[in-house]
Amino acid sequence: MLPLSLLNAAQNKPMLVELKNGETFNGHLVNCDNFMNITLREVYQTNPEGDRFWKLKECYIRGSTIKYLRIPDALLDSVKEEQNRAREVNRGGRGSHTGPGARGGAYSVAQNIIDILFDLSLIPPGRGAPLRGRGGRGAPTRGGRGRGGRGI
Amino acid sequence: MDSLIPFTTSGSLVDCVDRKMLVILRDGRKLHGVLRSYDQFANLVLEATVERIYHGNAFAENPHGLFLIRGENVVLLGEIDLDQEDDVPLRKVDWQELEPIHRQDTELKRQREEVKAQILYDQKGYSKEGGEGDGY
Repeated sequence: MLPLSLLNAAQNKPMLVELKNGETFNGHLVNCDNFMNITLREVYQTNPEGDRFWKLKECYIRGSTIKYLRIPDALLDSVKEEQNRAREVNRGGRGSHTGPGARGGAYSVAQNIIDILFDLSLIPPGRGAPLRGRGGRGAPTRGGRGRGGRGI
Repeated sequence: MDSLIPFTTSGSLVDCVDRKMLVILRDGRKLHGVLRSYDQFANLVLEATVERIYHGNAFAENPHGLFLIRGENVVLLGEIDLDQEDDVPLRKVDWQELEPIHRQDTELKRQREEVKAQILYDQKGYSKEGGEGDGY
């Protein structure tokens, strides 16, 4: 779970954001992006000394000005659970389609089919097999393929 | 074996995951917590974080919970030796007791650095640098 994924998962959760200049913002996360830019709603802002307060309905904070964010403890556990569930679902779905021992998922299955059709000259070179590289006319070569071999 | 791992943030920090770490920030704050995650910017996720302040041989702790630190602000990240942690000859005191003293300390330090920078600038031809947020 990368830090920014955790932030993404913290949407609608309360948090405290401290800026590099020491100002803090207490509010609920509305949205965030990969620059760590965030929007908060129902915000309490304090000055760096912590002796003055402002209430803001909503505010936007540029990611580069942030020092740190404090997020609810429970979030880490719930995100872990969520991930495990997603992985479980993923594994179940794939297993029933391709059977045991199949690895690599949909992309490599498709690529394998393309490889086979190419070998049987059912697909003209240069159209169906982009992984072969440019100029690969005529008989297919075995070497120099980046990925997607058939495991033989 | 070590030489096989290139010197990148990810290469250096994989071994630190799920360990108790000390993080020092640019503003001088010292945070102890368990490193749960990081990325290529050294953004860090710290769990069960406590902030520690020191004065003489006394220290105080303030629990903060889950932290997401923006990598830019990190000065230092070091592993804490759990075996030796308890042998440190420091006296734990109340946060409320130590915090005013600590604040005074940092203010004095800031003033001293300011005077030093001014002297270096006036007499030794140094440029003024840092300033914002460099309290470590």
